[in-house]
Amino acid sequence: MSATASEEELSEDELAGLELIRETGGIHQSNFWKELDVSSRKGSRIVDSLSEKGLINRDETIYEGHNTYYLTPTAQDLDFSLLMAGDMLSPFVGDEEIDAHSDAFSQWVMNLAYEE
Amino acid sequence: MAFEELLEDPVIQKYLHELVGPKGMPVAAAPPDGEVTDEELAEELGLELNDVRRALFILYENDLASYRRLRDEDSGWLTYLWTFEYDKIPEQLEEEMHRLLAALEERRQYERNHEFYLCETDGIRFEFAEAMDFGFECPQCGSELQSLENTRLVESMEGRIDALRDELNVESAEVEV
Repeated sequence: MSATASEEELSEDELAGLELIRETGGIHQSNFWKELDVSSRKGSRIVDSLSEKGLINRDETIYEGHNTYYLTPTAQDLDFSLLMAGDMLSPFVGDEEIDAHSDAFSQWVMNLAYEE
Repeated sequence: MAFEELLEDPVIQKYLHELVGPKGMPVAAAPPDGEVTDEELAEELGLELNDVRRALFILYENDLASYRRLRDEDSGWLTYLWTFEYDKIPEQLEEEMHRLLAALEERRQYERNHEFYLCETDGIRFEFAEAMDFGFECPQCGSELQSLENTRLVESMEGRIDALRDELNVESAEVEV
């Protein structure tokens, strides 16, 4: 996918920044540059670049009394195997209703307990 | 072919298979670059036109494909030009993770708050109140119902709930069950 293509073009600092956001699962921009040990200006440039490439999400937020951004990895980085129990996919996929007591979900939960 | 990297993920393959079924899978598993007509796909994949159309409409209903219509000015025929929108798959699976988490939370509560009895012959589980109504005998075969431990079930659900909360960065599910 395109994301990987653009990942290959990242600078060392940008890669380190992306790694930090993925590892933490989410971090405020005001902590991001400190953790990364770069200036706030440089931190902001790294975030701009990652966000433009669609590699991270950036949402406005208020943190410790000032406006900042909350930086999170995109859905693409999620571990989708958490939808599986043994070789069974979550039975709610493609269904509008979520029935926590359906036979299909009971089977899924049994798989989780006894086949993994 | 497009979206190759996404399609390498076995969970994504399973997801598409769940949506379109085995007959639609050749269509879902080989999205071409750019626009394509149903007839081109049928010919390329050696499939019945109806099977191709069925798969495309399922993908469309799930926001994974879109089309635009062109009218041939001479014949008046409509041609559908399809585009695969698989870049939406990660967000959709993220949503599925939230829904699964909600179901697990509710089910765990139920498993914790109830006692269960089992007919070992028929493999049927009864809640305590049901079992009492049947006099602790299986209504199908008459054998005695045994008290059933569900600790392992609850613990495995707890493990997955923690893993999902951690992965999704939430404290509890944000979806209504």
